[in-house]
Amino acid sequence: MFSDIVDRMLAGVGKLVRVLVYLTLILPGVIVVATSFTSGNAMRFPPTGFSLRWYYAFWESSLFFDSLTLSLKLAALSTVLSLLFGFAAAFAIERHKFSGRELIRGFMLSPLLIPAVVLGLGLMQLQVWIGLSQTFVGLLIGHVVVTLPYVVRTLSASMVLLDQNLEQAAMSLRAKPATVLRTITIPLLVPGIISAGVFAFVTSFGNVSLSVFLGAGGNVTLPVQVLAYVEQTVDPLVAAVSSVVIVFTLLAILIADRISGPRTVI
Amino acid sequence: MNSSTAESERRKTCWLLLLAPALLTLIVFMLIPAGIVLRISFYPGSTTIGAEGYSLAQYVKFFWNPLHLSVLGETVAYALIVCLGCLVLGFPVGYSLARHPPAKRRVRMLMVIVPLTLSLVVVVFGWLVLLGRQGLINNVLVWLGILSSPQQLLFNRTAVVIVLIQQFLPFIILSVMNVVMQIDPFLEQASTSLRANRVRTFIKVVIPLSTPGILAGLSLIFVMAASAFVTPRLVGGPRAQMVGGFIYDQILTTSNWPFGAAMAFILLAVGFGLMAALNTAIIRPLTRGLHVQ
Repeated sequence: MFSDIVDRMLAGVGKLVRVLVYLTLILPGVIVVATSFTSGNAMRFPPTGFSLRWYYAFWESSLFFDSLTLSLKLAALSTVLSLLFGFAAAFAIERHKFSGRELIRGFMLSPLLIPAVVLGLGLMQLQVWIGLSQTFVGLLIGHVVVTLPYVVRTLSASMVLLDQNLEQAAMSLRAKPATVLRTITIPLLVPGIISAGVFAFVTSFGNVSLSVFLGAGGNVTLPVQVLAYVEQTVDPLVAAVSSVVIVFTLLAILIADRISGPRTVI
Repeated sequence: MNSSTAESERRKTCWLLLLAPALLTLIVFMLIPAGIVLRISFYPGSTTIGAEGYSLAQYVKFFWNPLHLSVLGETVAYALIVCLGCLVLGFPVGYSLARHPPAKRRVRMLMVIVPLTLSLVVVVFGWLVLLGRQGLINNVLVWLGILSSPQQLLFNRTAVVIVLIQQFLPFIILSVMNVVMQIDPFLEQASTSLRANRVRTFIKVVIPLSTPGILAGLSLIFVMAASAFVTPRLVGGPRAQMVGGFIYDQILTTSNWPFGAAMAFILLAVGFGLMAALNTAIIRPLTRGLHVQ
């Protein structure tokens, strides 16, 4: 009897916590998008009036618009490089049973554990020495390092799930290894590749903690620009810029979800 | 015989070539930079330009100053509170996600994954708007009569903790979900059919089976929370400082790279020290004899 009441109370508390958590997760984004349509000059909620003036201001602002193009270019390039390197590495790790395989796998995931301040400072000093300091290439290298773990992890997981009998069937029909890879392995891995690519893209596109060190000169990415702006003032222009970031991120995730299902994104 | 050895050699080179790009990238652009940070933390002066020699000056400077030590202590405290908050709030969510049928899980998963991948500055900016003087929270509190007039809710320790918890909640939710999905629901049903109530089942079945995976997720959160600098910088104000912000200032504002490097290394040591301690004290004894992957 007593335990029944406790059970029901726990269930109620659990439900309350879940509602609270989902609310806190989505509220910041929702509020930003809602206030970006204000016609007033101040950030307030509920917003006053409705207009697109702050989106127009964003379109006119070369400061933010140039950063957006830079961020998109950087994210696209680091995704391609990460996918190439990560696919090769994941393939070797999953298909070749060599000693020290787990060590290599752990090493591939280790950038996740290095604080951005450590990686940032180390890369800054290294890039000063090899002459890549404050360059686009320098920024790109940093982004490949931080996106690589996600790609390796996602692709490894989908390679484990791949039915190797299909490849063996093709080989027994005398297909060359390259043909098997092109016509069997890669097509079957497309959902995994898309998930890995999307995750790499949004990770690079949103990165601020590493970019702030590597792009201090001319290469200011959109998140770093937003950080610099918000340190000075909070106005609806940033809300409009942030909404654009939210839309890009949301679109990318929805595409991955459509094609490969939400489980594969992480 | 001979030709097969040559063949296996050739294959071995092939695998190595596949690994090489990723491996080299990480060695040159992660391992070497980490080594460089360690090296410059032993420079004596306040600049890396033309510096040579080894000295413990930076470390002495850090540990001799009560201010630095209190910031370090505060940072560790923040990180622990954030871990605890994430666990308490994230566990029920991750658990229920794992026990949901996949079709119902979809929208909820998106609500977890989108904030995880959204740029940190955008999330923090959202909180600045939410907690601002004319923001939603203030308006609701005044409307409910809890506050008589809008208050400054930002730039204090509570604000930093709240934003950090929200930031890392998706990590713990996904960790818990992955761990719980591997626990056979039948074990819980068996426990209930033996008349154990929810609490007892939870303590006897769910906790022992899920602790190792969850601790792994938590230690990742600890390391990331302890090195946070964007959040304390934007919502913390001068009263809520963290080591990450200190390091950022030393590197980008004061340009004192050796001191920044020493602090970064102390941070790294604290994080890895905690992870190693957790591993030997809790995870190993729990997984001993169990076949946990």
